Formats: sequence, structure tokens, C-alpha cells
Amino acid sequence: MRAKFLPSLIAAAAAIVCTTGIATAQQVKELTFWSHWAAEMPKRTFVEEAIRQFEAKNPGIKLKQTWYEKTALYAGLKTALRAGQAPDIFYAEPDQVEYMENGFLLDLSGLNWGAVEPWAKEAWSYQGKPYGLPLEAWTVELYYNKKTMADLGVQVPDSLQLSPEAFLDMVKTAKAKGITPMALGVGDRPYPGAHVVHEALLKKLGIDDYDKLLKGKLAWSDPRVVDTLKWVRGLIEAGLLPNTFTTLKLAEAHIYFHTNPGALSFLNGSWYTSRAFNPPDKGGQPKDFPLGIMKFPAVPGAACNECRSIAVGGSYVGNAATKHPKEVTAFFDSFLSFEMGNRWLDVVQVQTGIKSDPNKLTGPQAADYFKMIAQTNAGATYYFGIPIQVLTGKPKEVFIQVMNNAFPAGTINVDDAVKQMAAAY
Amino acid sequence: MLAPGAAQIDGTDDMAAASADKHDSGLRKPWGTITAFLLPALTVYVAFTAYPAFRTIWNSFHKVLPRREEMVGLANYAELVRDDIFWRAVRNTITWACASPLIEISIALVLALALYAKVPGARFFRVAWFTPVLMSYVVVGILWLWIYNFDWGPVNAALRAIGLGNWTKAWLGDPATALPSLIFVTSWMWVGFNMVVLLAALHSLPKEVIEAAELDNCGWGAKLVFVIFPLIRATLLNLIVLSFIGKMKIFDLVWITTKGNPLWATETVSTYVYKRAFEWTTFDLGYPSTIAAVWFVIVLAAVLSLTWLFRLREKLEY
Amino acid sequence: MPTLRRAILLLLLCAYTSFAAGPFVWAAMMSLRTTTEIHRNHFALPSPAHWDKFSEAWFNSNYGVYFANSTQIVVSAVLILTIVGSMAAHCLARYRFRLNRAIYFILFSTIIFPPQITIISLFQILVQYGLYNSKVGLTLVYVAIQLPLTIYILESFFARIPSDLFDAARMDGYSDWEIFWRVSLPIALPAVSTTVILNFILLWNEFLYAVVLITEEANRTLPLGIQRFIGDTQEDVGMIATGLMIAIIPVVVVYAFFSERLIQGMTAGAVK
Repeated sequence: MRAKFLPSLIAAAAAIVCTTGIATAQQVKELTFWSHWAAEMPKRTFVEEAIRQFEAKNPGIKLKQTWYEKTALYAGLKTALRAGQAPDIFYAEPDQVEYMENGFLLDLSGLNWGAVEPWAKEAWSYQGKPYGLPLEAWTVELYYNKKTMADLGVQVPDSLQLSPEAFLDMVKTAKAKGITPMALGVGDRPYPGAHVVHEALLKKLGIDDYDKLLKGKLAWSDPRVVDTLKWVRGLIEAGLLPNTFTTLKLAEAHIYFHTNPGALSFLNGSWYTSRAFNPPDKGGQPKDFPLGIMKFPAVPGAACNECRSIAVGGSYVGNAATKHPKEVTAFFDSFLSFEMGNRWLDVVQVQTGIKSDPNKLTGPQAADYFKMIAQTNAGATYYFGIPIQVLTGKPKEVFIQVMNNAFPAGTINVDDAVKQMAAAY
Repeated sequence: MLAPGAAQIDGTDDMAAASADKHDSGLRKPWGTITAFLLPALTVYVAFTAYPAFRTIWNSFHKVLPRREEMVGLANYAELVRDDIFWRAVRNTITWACASPLIEISIALVLALALYAKVPGARFFRVAWFTPVLMSYVVVGILWLWIYNFDWGPVNAALRAIGLGNWTKAWLGDPATALPSLIFVTSWMWVGFNMVVLLAALHSLPKEVIEAAELDNCGWGAKLVFVIFPLIRATLLNLIVLSFIGKMKIFDLVWITTKGNPLWATETVSTYVYKRAFEWTTFDLGYPSTIAAVWFVIVLAAVLSLTWLFRLREKLEY
Repeated sequence: MPTLRRAILLLLLCAYTSFAAGPFVWAAMMSLRTTTEIHRNHFALPSPAHWDKFSEAWFNSNYGVYFANSTQIVVSAVLILTIVGSMAAHCLARYRFRLNRAIYFILFSTIIFPPQITIISLFQILVQYGLYNSKVGLTLVYVAIQLPLTIYILESFFARIPSDLFDAARMDGYSDWEIFWRVSLPIALPAVSTTVILNFILLWNEFLYAVVLITEEANRTLPLGIQRFIGDTQEDVGMIATGLMIAIIPVVVVYAFFSERLIQGMTAGAVK
């Protein structure tokens, strides 16, 4: 009896194996995807569209997306990575070296790096290997309200860069009329306040010495550094920043500038558009807002007034422990094309690390906006990275408290600031 | 064998009935039963309190990274001694823990004494004053962020309304006023609690003693110092120790409002440990464990000296 | 008491009451107004009162999920605490054995442990046992952190029960377990309800352990959920206020219901 059943058993077993084999092959692979930019509609729309297109081209792959606010994302990732519960693909910025140091990221050497700007690839390289897709790149831009500027009678020169005296005058004139010269807030971010300080220091010292300063090889008590800080202090004392500076949040700072109560200028990353070009009821700037961009003012005795910071911002990385490395790499590759780079510029209107050409943009708003960006960036020499991407450990923590918060807020003077920074290294 | 005066079985037994009778009527020790009763509690305790505590101390001698652990001996401790952020956090926390009991309990005592006389609606008042304590520190933090808001918070609005407009400040944004502002918030929370407890304690004092003092023509001052204080001394001291310990542990309020800013003016040991463990650009858990271990010793020393100071040893044994 | 003194007293009381309850009332008013209304006038009364904000917060802003999680975790933890804690307290109070005082002292002394001494390794341990980011893991941790206080309060109460009750029960042939269940617990009901309320309030509002041990949105408790709303989106003051009310109201209700018991229980421990 048993012998008769055996062949049919084997046949049945074989059939089951075959069908499950086919079923597995047709099974959809799900990649988990965590990202910042939940509230920044242009970027989010761009990425969601890119994901849709990728899924259409690759029917066996689906991405399960979760969108976060930055602080919540970072907190969740830190613990999830340690607990082995991290997603396959997630948002990261190049200053998070600890991910690479601990081997949490997927090696992306196999991507089509010919389509990426070399400095963007460099920002994500660790021990010679690249680990991130540098989607967003940004410069620090000085946005201003053209109409308010004209009303104050201040003339922005053709070079788009005010002299130090003219800038101080502008601050005083605005303050006298009850207008905050520059909107800025450090309520929920560790870097905006420092923009004033580091752009000034970069211009005064030039690329090499600025780099040395950040890395602890040049003393903070260097007379050039002290002079620059004194100049910034002069601006602060003239009333440059809002009196809610220490508690004003990033989103609120945008609104402070373009809607209520309205400031003269706003020193922000060029990703300003991600929030400002939202519809007005979602925190965007009013329709027909007279937006202008100028260069950060010249600094007295500067070595390089053309120097400015450029940073790689939002990027995507792969989890080293992912079960679908091929699919993750394929996803990243789908971004690395000229068309994608240009589409990012069109939709998001922020620079990108992917090779692209702002002159070939189609959307009218984007074309105009990038003309302005091109003008402020004309002839620029770049330093790659903002201080909190370059500093680590104690110096980073002290920099955030002193140069981002207390010094611009005016609560400590130049000597104290220098002392604290010197003690941190 | 009945312990004298142990007839009342409700929560308001007085001192005489303490030191309960632990008479065990059986001659053999029922180890089976004892283990059965104690085992669940002890298992949870060992697994989630004792073992983690030892493991933290173990961590403090290592560099604890996700893929490996490296013994570094006393290196973390050496770094801790030089860490001025840590010592600032310790100073802030201890200032808080010392200032709070003084403020909370003295105000509570004054108010409780004022209320000692019969007042209509006592029950309503008690519930109203107790509500701040019922709120999570998260809720309290958000509420007070709004209250201290520079532009529209009630504090600055009130100052402007009475013409003291140039006294307005970003209360939580100025290093000089940030910590006092937070201490004010915890006082707001806990004065009501302390007052309610003290009031209950006052009401449960034996009437005969108070009346006797009154008959002896004691002034209010003397009555206070010589009669009432000694009788509620135990309650007072309990509340002081409770308040002290509570402030040494504080985390939620700071985390929601200032996160230790500005310039570490409100940095407490708990926020610093959290930051070092989960926010700095490192995955190392060894150094934060060192902070935790040292802080544990400091808290222990502080509480022990406090209780020795008040000679509460009989309270602990009880 | 002279009328002037009485008047001053009443004034003092009312002033303090508005100080203590003021913020709560302000939040309650804001919870019924939209953010635009609030920014127009921060201190006006709600008109009209937008009761639908509560259902919006519940369903659209996930407060329903957070509330359910909090309820699940806290109720389970309090239940376990009551049973396990009273068992241990009963044993420590009524049986004499060599390690009794040592165990009691060890358990009691952990009340002064700062959370930092355990939180980092708890994180490691829960990850190791796959209990990280899970409601079960957090529930067990909550039981552990409230156990010392529970045992302290219950032990002192159990110890006061006159022993002839136990003698009588034993003579009636009750087993040890029955003595605990049928004699100790019913008599100790005031103390037990005190610990239930205390544990409920403390765990409902607990934040530090929750923020370290839970990161998944679906498992968040109410305090975590509220914190999430003060992220960097435009601050929706009205919605946040509604959320605050959802968090506060259960505790206030529980407290108002049991307030007498709680005060009794606290002073039992405080007044000697």
C-alpha cells in the first residue's frame, strides 16, 4: 500500500515546491523607507513621484514609506539601528559619520557616480567608499524683501554684495523703522544662528585657515577671528536679530520673514524654497512676494569675499543589514540621471549633488529663481560643509551652544565666546 | 498577642500603633509559600532593576558600540572628571533639588496653616490645588512654554498690561532666567500637593494638645514652633526628602521646554545622559553609563546625608 | 474669626486657586478654539466652542491610538503591580524569616535610584530580548519601576493588621494563599486603592522610559504622542491644546473620584 502512495506523494511534494517557488519569484519585495521632509511638499512630492516611477519600472518591488520630522526621525533611527530594526532606506545627512564608523550603511560603490558632482560624492565618502545618495545640496543665501529694501532707501549694488559699512547702515535704518533686519531662529535647530558667524569667518580667513580653525589647528584667539566676531557683535548690538531669536523655530522664522511680522532679510539655506514655495496657508510666502537674494555682505579686511559654504543636505542611504541590497542599489541608481537632476531643480528649486543644468529648466518659476541663485553664486569659491558637519564631539556641542545660540543672541561677549570655543578643543 | 492600640484598621493610625506585630503563628517557616509570594516580585526586580544597574556599571568601564565592546578601564571616569558640561549639569540639578523643597514646602506650610481654620468649600479647593500634580510633565512643559512665550504668553502680557513692558524677557531663552523659570514651574506643580498633605496632617493632630496650648495662652508664634511643628515634623521631613529626590531625577520638564539650553543653563544630569547616549554623533553607550554610575553615587550620598541629617533612620526601618 | 481676616483668607485662597488652576483652564479654553481664533486673541472665551476638535484629534491626529496604547500598558502594569506587589508585601509583612528585612531594604532603597542608572542597559537588554519597541517590554519596565513604592506602602499597611485575625483564619483551616486573598487584601483595600491610583497617575504620565524604549508610532503612549506634535510643523496651538485635554481629563476624573482615598492613603504613610 505504502509503495503505491509514494510516487504520488513525491509528485505532490514536487508540485508544491514548484508552485511555491514560482510564487516566491512573483512575491513582491517590500523595502521600508523612512524620510524627513514630511512637511516640505516640493521635496516630498519629488521623492514620492520618483518612487512611483521606480515601482512602475520594477513591478516586483514596493516601497513602504514613512515620512517624519527631522528630530523625530533622527531619534528613531539612532535607537532603531542599534536595535536592528532600521529600515532598508532612510534619510541621512553627511555629518552623521557615526553611521559609517559603526558599519551601518550599505556600500554604494557600484552606483553610476559619473552622474554625480565629485564634491557631492566626496561629502559622502568614508575611507574611500561612498555611502550616500547626495540628493540635496545647498548654499547659505541672504534672502530679502525687495519692496522693504526699496522703502528703506537702501540700494543693493550690482555686485549683490553690500560693503560692511553699508550693511551696518542697513541694519540701523531698518531697526529705526521698527523692522527686524534679519529673521533667524534657533528654537529647534542647531545651525541657523551660526550662519552669520561662519559665513563671516569664512570670508575673513579664506578656505584653508577657516578649515584649520574648525579642525582645531588655528586658535580661536587669532586676531582675525576676534576682529570678525567683534564685527558680528556690532551687528547684533545694532539689533540685527529678532528678540525671540533663541526660541523662534525654523518654520516660524520663515513666517517671521515673509508674512508676519515681516523682516527685511532672512539668512537661510537655499532650501528656503521647500517651505516658502508651499501654498500660503501651509506656511508658504504670500503670492507675489517680492523675493530678492543678495550675497552675504563683505567682511572688513577679508581674505576672500567670494568664499561661501556649500553643503550636501538631505540624502538617502541604505541599511547595511538590508535583505535586499540589489533592490536598494537599483532604487538609488534610478535617481542618477541628468533628467532626475533637472527635475529636482524644477520641482524643488534647491541645488542638487546630481549633475544637472539650471539653464535647461522648463518651469518658469524655477528658471527665474535659479537665475537669482546663479547670480549670487557667480564667481564663488566653495568651502564644503557647514561647521556642524565638520565638527564632532565636544567642539560640536560647544559650537552649537556658543556660536549658534548664545553669541548671536548677545548673551555672551566676544571674549567669553572665544574662551569657550578654545576650551572645547 | 495584640499590639497595643492597633485596633484601628484604616489609614490614619498614629505612631503608637506602628511597629506592627509580625507574629507568625506557625512554628515551621513555610518556605514554599514565602518563595511563591516573593518570586514574581523578585524576578521582575532582578531582571529589570538589579541586573540593569549592574550592567550599567559594567558598561562604564567599556566603550560600548553596537558591534563590539572594548574594555577601557577608568578612561571614561577620567574623561568625566574633566567634563565641564557634566559638572554644570550636576550643579544645576543639585541647585534645583535644594531650592525646590525650601520654596515648595515653606509656601505650602504657610498656606496650609492659613487654611487650618475651617473654610467653606475645602474639598473643592483641595481638588483644584492638586490638579497641577496630576498633569504629566509633558503637558506642564507645553503649557508653560506658552505661558512664558515672549509675544503672547500671559506672563509678558501681564507685565505689559501693568506698564512694566521693559521687564519682559524671553524667560526660557535667557541663561540667567531659564533655570529659575523652570524651578518656578515645578513649585507651581508641587506646592498644591504639599499643601494638601500638610493640611491633612494638621487636621489629624490630636485636638487636645492644640487646645491645651491655647489654654496656656500661647501666642500663635509659640504655638506654631513648640506645638505644631514637632507634631508634623515627620510629615515635613518626608515631604522634603520626596521633593529632593524628585528634583534630582527630573527629565521630562526640561526635555519639553529647553532641552538644557541656553548655554547649559538648564542642563540636568538626566538630559545630559540622554544626549550622550542618543544624540551625540556616536553610538557609544559606555560614557553615558559612566555618568549614570557616578550620578547614582552622588544621589545616594545626598539622600543618605539628608536622612541622617533628619535622623529618619527609624522611618526607613519601620 | 473676625470678618476682615476671613475675607483676606478667602482672597488669598481664590488668588492661589486661580494661580494653580489657571493654566489648566486656559488650556481647556484653547482646546475649543481654532488656532486662527487663538492668534487673534489669546485669552478670549471659546465662541463658538468647537467640540468637533476632540473627534478630529482622536481620529485624524492619532490620539485615539495613543490613548489606547496608554490604557493598555498602564492598566496591565497597574494590575500586575497590584497583584505581585501585594503578594510580596504580604509575605514581607507577615512572615518572619532571616532575609526578610534585607529583601525589604533592598527593594525599598531602589526608590531613590535615579532612572539613568538603569535606562541605558534596559535599552540594551530589551533589544537583546526582542522586547524593544514593544508594549510588553514597556509594561514590564513600568512594573519594575513602581514595585518598590507599591511594596513600601502595602507592607506598612499589611503589617498593621492585628494578627489575631490571621490566627483565627489559620485555625479555621485557611491555607496561606487563602489568608492572603480572603483576609489581607480585603482589609487592606484602602492602601491597595491608594497604590492603584498612585501607580495609575505616575505611569499614565510617564515619559522618560517611554521615549527611550518606544519609537514606533503605532506603540506610542499619550505623553510621547503629545510630544510629537510640538515638532517643527507650524505650531497648531489649538490642536495641541485639544490633545493636552485628552491627556489630562482621564487622570483628573480618576483623581476626583478617588480623592478622599488618596489623601487618606498618603497621610497614612506620612503621619506617624
